[in-house]
Amino acid sequence: MSGGGMFKLEELSQAVIRGDNDAAFNLAENALAENVPARQILEKGLIPGLRRVGDLFESGEYFLPELIVAGDAVSQALDLLEPILAQAETPFMGNFLIGTVKGDIHDLGKNIVVMMLKGNGWKVTDLGVDITPEEFCETVKKGDYQVIGLSCLLTMTMGHVEKTISRLTESGLRDKIKVMVGGAPTTPAWAEKIGADAHAKDGPAAAKKAAALIGKGE
Amino acid sequence: MGKMTGLERVLTALKLKEPDVVPHFERVAKTVREAILPGASEEDFIEHMDLDGLRFIDRTHSWSYEMVDENKRIKKDQWGGFVRYTTEDNPVPMEPAIKSEKDLDAYVAPDPDQPWRYEYLKKVVKRFKGQRAIVVGVTDVFALGRENFLGDINYFRAMVKNTDMIERANEIILDYQLRYMKNCIESGVDLFWVNGDWAMTEKPMVSRKFTERFLAPPLKKLVDFAHSRGVPVVKHTDGNIWPIYDVIIDSGIDGLHPIDPMAGMDIGEAKSKFGDKVCLCGNVSCAFSLVSGTAEEVRRETREVIRKAGKGGGLICMSSNSVHSGVKPENYVAMVNAIREFGRYPLAL
Repeated sequence: MSGGGMFKLEELSQAVIRGDNDAAFNLAENALAENVPARQILEKGLIPGLRRVGDLFESGEYFLPELIVAGDAVSQALDLLEPILAQAETPFMGNFLIGTVKGDIHDLGKNIVVMMLKGNGWKVTDLGVDITPEEFCETVKKGDYQVIGLSCLLTMTMGHVEKTISRLTESGLRDKIKVMVGGAPTTPAWAEKIGADAHAKDGPAAAKKAAALIGKGE
Repeated sequence: MGKMTGLERVLTALKLKEPDVVPHFERVAKTVREAILPGASEEDFIEHMDLDGLRFIDRTHSWSYEMVDENKRIKKDQWGGFVRYTTEDNPVPMEPAIKSEKDLDAYVAPDPDQPWRYEYLKKVVKRFKGQRAIVVGVTDVFALGRENFLGDINYFRAMVKNTDMIERANEIILDYQLRYMKNCIESGVDLFWVNGDWAMTEKPMVSRKFTERFLAPPLKKLVDFAHSRGVPVVKHTDGNIWPIYDVIIDSGIDGLHPIDPMAGMDIGEAKSKFGDKVCLCGNVSCAFSLVSGTAEEVRRETREVIRKAGKGGGLICMSSNSVHSGVKPENYVAMVNAIREFGRYPLAL
């Protein structure tokens, strides 16, 4: 790739940080036209941009609106890249299964996690809300997932996160998959207590921790 | 000091003065009420527990819904979006009314002047007026716009990309809410309770700049209207509001709920930073102690809340959100008893 290509990928990162959909799309399109591999556009342009957005969120400079428009910019560019990336046998990061646990129908936090994961190169299967332990287990059994994310917003549904992990163990599936938990009432200490592999407090943290869980962290 | 009515107690606390006892009222889940007083109506329960007020929310008591899927408990709300009912019988938004800006052009808002919306309010006014505070929930313009009207993601996106859409949505919602409040005032409300979160556990949902630009002005309009008719307002928001608490208070609210302990909001710190400006409403943990603690732990935590925030008045002691179905009934009773044990003025803590 030429030096100009690298410059464009840095520009692409900046477009993501600004949440500029059109610029992100055009820069990705130009990079493809210059024969920059799709995986490189993702790895050197979109993901660094979205990680910087995550850092800005964590440091208190960015909030939900900025996170969402950055996710939109990535999503626009991914529309171009996905058909090409899909030709590869394995996704860039891996397959991530996610859902809000039984009894809980809140999904804002989960949806932002999905957005961040997709932008970071994960193929995400979102089961939706109010998912029973059995439904999670059935999906894990049938698919090739590296990480499962269990979300809950209510104190009273935290117990269903623990039940889902227990059901994975009883079904002999626990060793097959890493478990990440998150949601407003959850804490890292609680996550450890119930046997999860990781706790994420928000979307950017989920993307970082998911990468670390499969040995692809920064 | 003679014995006050519940209403006097609440209004005195809201004026940042000392009532006879720290006031208390609460939304209590039916399962908890049933365990304490089987078969009783909510109003009978309030009388039985001698609570100082009755609070209900607009979503459940004044909005209309059409059944869409009975098995999945999905209904269409009056704004045109879809909601799903939780086990608490709270309608949680799942699909917004407005999908694109074009939908706004032909949008017909619900009519707040339909008399049936005020039937429950009138019923409780008839029973409790002058004795217990009648507290009516008004969904925050931001929360209603975000959850029911435009949808969370679209609302946040529009804050950056299409501010005109936010202004238009806010105008429609504000018009409804102001007329709703006017009708509630004419029906006998004592206190408005503006529901709707502005913050997450870690931090506010939007920047201070956006809070000042989009969230605070509609709240101020609600508050100014209520005050113009002599009715006080409590603002509810979960989450860590430390970075924006002054913006919320500057809207002119009389009280702030719940000073979310799960988000690191300490009620003692709140008392010292803004307890001279607004009445603090909270904050016995309904995430931990009321759910999984012992009655003695709840008693101690309630005492601590009163010790930290009760001095000089300006405290309505309650849970950190609501007494939901996960709360142990005996723990709720322990909290109420502790408020009466430790909350008598002058405080001996």
